[in-house]
Amino acid sequence: MKIEFEHRQAAHCESGVTANLLHHYGIDISEAMAFGIGAGLFFGYLPFIRVNKLPLTTFRCEVGGIFKRLTKRFGFQVRWQKFRDPQKAMDALDRKIAEGVPVGCRTGGYWLPYFPPAFRFHFNMHNLVVVGRENDHYIISDPVFPDLERCHRKDLIKARFAKGVMAPRGTMYYLTRVPEKVSFADAVRNGIRVVCRRMLHTPGPLMGVKGIRYLAKQVKKWPDKLGQRKASLYVTQLIRMQEELGTGGGGFRFMYAAFLQEAAQRLQIPGLQDLSDNMTVVGDRWREFAVIGARNCKGRAGDNDSYAAMARILMECADREEEIYRELLPVIR
Amino acid sequence: MIIDELNIEDVSPGDIKDEEPLFGKKLGLDSIDAVEIVFQVERTFGVAIKDMKEGRPALQSIHTLAAFIEKRLSQ
Repeated sequence: MKIEFEHRQAAHCESGVTANLLHHYGIDISEAMAFGIGAGLFFGYLPFIRVNKLPLTTFRCEVGGIFKRLTKRFGFQVRWQKFRDPQKAMDALDRKIAEGVPVGCRTGGYWLPYFPPAFRFHFNMHNLVVVGRENDHYIISDPVFPDLERCHRKDLIKARFAKGVMAPRGTMYYLTRVPEKVSFADAVRNGIRVVCRRMLHTPGPLMGVKGIRYLAKQVKKWPDKLGQRKASLYVTQLIRMQEELGTGGGGFRFMYAAFLQEAAQRLQIPGLQDLSDNMTVVGDRWREFAVIGARNCKGRAGDNDSYAAMARILMECADREEEIYRELLPVIR
Repeated sequence: MIIDELNIEDVSPGDIKDEEPLFGKKLGLDSIDAVEIVFQVERTFGVAIKDMKEGRPALQSIHTLAAFIEKRLSQ
């Protein structure tokens, strides 16, 4: 059984899955637009949550938030299911596939055999769409890969029931009601408002632009506080969260810039294009931060590649981002 | 550029075959090195690789990277 499903490669798994699932049901939507309407952009430094024993830094909203906000805003109905028993989870998946319904699954990417070893590490928030089954293999539309992939049942079970932080527990989801028409104008404005509110006004020091500044202060202290080796591990984790985990690069800032550009054209809102350009500049600065971090991790840091230099770039990112969010709000009114 | 910027010891540019995988055992490169390669490609050639969607196929080998850069420069 193979569902006719157009696989489109994406930069990030959840926004890619969201766009591809909606596209399957006839909605003309890009990945960047799905990310923007789903208010995917965020920042949070959460040292009390550990991934691979290292602090979690997130550049995006909560897992599942993009899909939930976008489908709700457009009026889709979604069925979410979680399981304790892998057998029941696979049976439920098989039933939907047999009905011709593409099913989104949350997985631990480490266990998916088609991930190249060099890019494989434990990460339990990887989304994909199962679009068919042939004997013991499932046909997977994994948006971060160029083509459909195949995955053996035992590997998919391991991935759906990966253990550790944010274990997926067999989570699967599919659309049960599709609206006849959707309105992009309201959805875009709402998505932008949510991002601005969260980045500017989330309480506490760890999230939004305040979180970026907090992280900057921490990064500067890491070598003295943690020692060179551990500091280097912390930076490695940070870079991976920023550049690797299907972030679209620059901690999702490039993807958000693409969303603002598309929104400027689609909705003809003056001022959005300039803010898109500014967001690209911020993404470039985030990437420069990652490069200095990579040099430190790999022991090839030069005189200008200090932790203090990284902290300065982060402070600049926070200032530039704050300016963008403050300007965005009046532009979309 | 790759050998110099990534400080790869005991390997000269001539040792890397055009079709050989960039990431893996021989060069010992991993995804953190990819960040530096992406940065250096932009700085040296003015060609941006904004995300892993374009980065992953481009960074397979010297051949795919060169083809990607040439294609972008000709656009």
